[in-house]
Amino acid sequence: VQPPEKPLQAEEWNRLKESFRSPKIFETVMFNSMVRCNSPIDVAKSLLTYVAKSDGDVAYTLLVKYLALCVQQGQTSEICDVYDIMKRRFKLIEGGAYNLLIRGLSNSDQWRMALTLLEEVKKIMIPSRTNYESCIKAASRHQEMNLAFELYHEMLAKDLVPTLDVLQAFFDFSRGMKGAELQKELFGMLLHLRENQIYPHKTFMWSIKLWFESIPGGNWRGHLTNIKDSGQCPVCNHQLEDSDLTEEEYNNLREKIIRDVIHGTDPFRKTSPQEFQAFQTFVENRLPFDIVIDGLNVSHIKPRKMHCENLFDAVNCLAKENARLLVLGRKHMLIDSSNWKREIMKEIQNKADFFFAENISEDDAFLLYATLQSGKHCKFVTRDFLRDHKACLSDSLTRHLFRKWQRGHQIAFASSSKKMFLSVFIQQPALCYDCVVQTTGDTWHIPYKDTLDEKYSYRVPRKWLCIQQK
Amino acid sequence: MQSANMFLKKILRSPVLPFAAQHGMKKDLLPLSRTLSLSLCLKQDNSCNPEEKLDLDAWKKVMKSELPEVVGETVSEHKELSTLAAARETVEMWRLAGRLVPENITEEQLKTFVECSSKSAQKKYLKFLHVRELYKKNDKRKMDEKRERRLETKEQASEADEAKRNSFICLWASCMDRAYSWRAAQSMIFGQPLVFDMSYEKDMSAREVANAVRQMVFSEGCNRRSADPFHIHFCNFKEDSLYHKEFIKHYREAWGKLLITVTDQCYTEVFPKDKLIYLTADSPKVMKTFDHDKIYIVGSIVDKSIKTGVSLARAKRLGLETAALPLEKYLLWNIGAKNLTLDQMMHILLTLKDTGDWRKALEFVPKRKYCGFVSKPVHELKKTLSLVNTLKLGKRREELQKQFAKNYSKKLTRK
Repeated sequence: VQPPEKPLQAEEWNRLKESFRSPKIFETVMFNSMVRCNSPIDVAKSLLTYVAKSDGDVAYTLLVKYLALCVQQGQTSEICDVYDIMKRRFKLIEGGAYNLLIRGLSNSDQWRMALTLLEEVKKIMIPSRTNYESCIKAASRHQEMNLAFELYHEMLAKDLVPTLDVLQAFFDFSRGMKGAELQKELFGMLLHLRENQIYPHKTFMWSIKLWFESIPGGNWRGHLTNIKDSGQCPVCNHQLEDSDLTEEEYNNLREKIIRDVIHGTDPFRKTSPQEFQAFQTFVENRLPFDIVIDGLNVSHIKPRKMHCENLFDAVNCLAKENARLLVLGRKHMLIDSSNWKREIMKEIQNKADFFFAENISEDDAFLLYATLQSGKHCKFVTRDFLRDHKACLSDSLTRHLFRKWQRGHQIAFASSSKKMFLSVFIQQPALCYDCVVQTTGDTWHIPYKDTLDEKYSYRVPRKWLCIQQK
Repeated sequence: MQSANMFLKKILRSPVLPFAAQHGMKKDLLPLSRTLSLSLCLKQDNSCNPEEKLDLDAWKKVMKSELPEVVGETVSEHKELSTLAAARETVEMWRLAGRLVPENITEEQLKTFVECSSKSAQKKYLKFLHVRELYKKNDKRKMDEKRERRLETKEQASEADEAKRNSFICLWASCMDRAYSWRAAQSMIFGQPLVFDMSYEKDMSAREVANAVRQMVFSEGCNRRSADPFHIHFCNFKEDSLYHKEFIKHYREAWGKLLITVTDQCYTEVFPKDKLIYLTADSPKVMKTFDHDKIYIVGSIVDKSIKTGVSLARAKRLGLETAALPLEKYLLWNIGAKNLTLDQMMHILLTLKDTGDWRKALEFVPKRKYCGFVSKPVHELKKTLSLVNTLKLGKRREELQKQFAKNYSKKLTRK
C-alpha cells in the first residue's frame, strides 16, 4: 500500500479502507508502510484521528508504530505526548515502546527525560544494551562524562556487553579533555578490548588515534602500520608480546581441556577411558614432542594425491630440523588400501612417532592433549579450526585462553596452488606475536579491522595502530 | 452547490457525528465538520488551505478524555503488584503490542514464564503456548462443526431407514481392542523383545521428555495394532521419574494394564549381552538385515540440541554391539538429521520384521528428508545428485556441489 501524501479526511480514509482487501488490518498495514516510506507525520496523525473517532480508541500497536514514525523524524514533542498518553492509558509499557522512547528522546534536547525513562525500565526488567547505548551517547554528547561513565559501569555490572559504538562515543566526546580519571577510564576500555579479544574497526581506530593525539600535554603520536612477521613494530621498533600463556594459565587450560573436551559429560563419547589411559602412558613415555600432527587432516590437503603421500610430504617437510614429531591417526590407516600403502606408512613411521586411535574415537582431543602435555614450545598441525572443541569449554575466560594459545601454536598447511605437480606446501606458521590490544605504558599497539576483508573470526587483523609518547 | 449538499449529507452520515453525540461534544465538533465540508467543496477552485482545518490532534483528545482521572492511584498500585501479577501485565502488554502471546495463561504457565532464564527463552515459551492455543482452538472449532453436521445427518437418517438388518452387532472398537490385546498378550510370551532405553532423562529438557513419551505412546499404539507385535520392554525405568509422570498423563488408568514389560533393571541384566544390538544413528556399523534372534535397543531420547554420540557412548560403555539404519545406502539423503523419531523407528522395525524389505520399511522415513530411493549405479546417481543440487541452489554453488557429490560417491563406494 502506498500511503497518501497529505492528511486525509475521515471520509477519504473510510474509502481507502473499504477498497483495501482485508479492512481488518488496514490500519496496521498502512502504518507499517508509513514507517517504511517515512511519510509526513501529519498523514499519520490524520489516520490516528480517523481511527480514534470511529472506534473511540487507538490500539497500542498503532501508538507504537506512530511512535516509531516520530522517532524516525525526531519529533520530540510528539514523542512526549505519546508517552504521556501511554502512561495514562496503560499500567505498564512494554520493552519495544521503551526502546523507541529512549532512542527518540536521547537524540533530542529532552535527553534527560530518557534517563528517567531508563529508571522506569529498570523497575520492570533489565534494560537492553541499546537502551544504555542511547543514554550514554546522549550524556557524553552533552559533555556529562561522569554520568556517562556511571551508566557504563552500571551496564557492565548487569553483564551487558557494550557495543563498539558506545566505546567509540566515549573516545569521540572526550577528545581534548583533561583529567587523570578520564584517561584511566578510557585506558580501561582499551584493556576491555584486550581481555575480550575484540578488534576495533577502522573508524573506531581513528577515534582512538585522535583522542590520544588530543590529550593536552600528552605528546602522543599515532601511526598506522603493519607488524613484521618477527613481531617487531616498524615505527617504534618495539617487540610485541608473544602469545605464550603464563604457567598458571597454561596449567589451567590443560586441565580444562582434559576435563571439558576429552571427558566432557561422558568419557565414552569421544574416546574410552582405557584408550585415553593407553594414550596418556604412550605420551608420558615419549615426551616431549616438538610438533604434533593431525594425520588424517593433513592427509587430505591435496585431493588428487594418495592420502599417505600427503602425510609423507607433510612429515618430510616438518622433519627437517631434528624435530620430534608425533602423528595421530586412526587404526584404519594401518590397513593396506588404495589410499594407505603399507610401505609408505612404514617409512613414515621411521621418521615420527605414531599413535593410532580407534576408528570411532576423536583424534582431535588427543592432539590437544599431546601438544599441551609437551610444553609451551610444542606446536600442532591441522587445518581444523577446532571450534567444536572450543565450544566444549565451559567458561569464556578459558575459551579466550584457548584462542590465544591456538593463535600461537597452530600451524596450518595449504596446498600451494591448483597445479597438482607442485609438491610444495605453503606453511602458515603460528604467529610469534600475540594479536591483541597491548601497552607498555608509553606505547600502545592496537590491531584493527580494515572494514570488509577481515570479517572472519578466525583470521586475525594484520593492520595495527602504533601509538607512542614522545 | 448541489455537490456541496451531497457532501454535507455524507458527512452527516459519517461516523464522526454519532461519536460526537455519544460524548456530548456536539458543540465542538459540529461547526468543525461544517467548515470541513465547505473547505472540501472549495478545493476545486482554491487548493491552498483546505487541510489546515483538519484537527490533527483530535485523537489525543479522545485518548485523554476517556481516561478516568485516577493516575496517581494506579501508579502506587503498580508497585505493590506481586511478580506473577506483574508478569501477567507484561504478557498482556506484549499481546497488545502484537507479539505472539497466548490469550489465556494459567498460573503455572506464568510461573514457568517467570523462571525462564533469558528474554529469548521467555519469548519462545510464549510463542509455544500461543501456537498450542491456536491448535486447540482450531480443533475445537472443527469438533463443533462436525457435531453439527452429525446432528443434521442424524435427523435425516432417522427418518430414512428404520430397520437395517445385519448379522453382526456393531461393536467394532471394543472387539478390535480385545483382539489386539490378545495378540499383545501372546507377544509377551512368544514375541521378540524390543527394548526402549529410558536412561536419558538427565540429557533432556522437560519438553523433550514430554515429546519422547508422546512418541513412545505412538509406538506402543502401532505395535499393538500390528499383526505380529514386539514384546516391548521399558528398561532403566525409574518410578516417579519425569517419564513416569508423562506416561500417566497420557494413559491414565490404562498405564497399569498395558501389555508391556516395565523394569528398573538395565537390559544387560535382563538379556544376554551378545544378543543385544543398540540402534543409534552414530554407529559406524550399518545394519544389513533384520535379525529375528537379536534384541534391538532404541534409546528413548529426543535431542533437539544435537547431542552427538550420547547413545553411542552408552553402548560403548556397556560393550554392546551397535548398528545404524542403512539410510544412505537406500535413500538419496536430502536434508535433516539421520536420527528418526521413536514411532518412525517402530514402524520401520515392524515392517522389517514382517517383510524384511528395506524399501518398504524405509517408506516411513519422512519424505522431506530424502530425494528418492537409490536405484541406479553410483556414477549415474552422482549426476542426478548434482543436478538436483544445481536446480535447488542455482549455479553459483555448483563447485561446492561437485565436491559434495564426489565425497558422497566415495562414501558409497567405501561401504
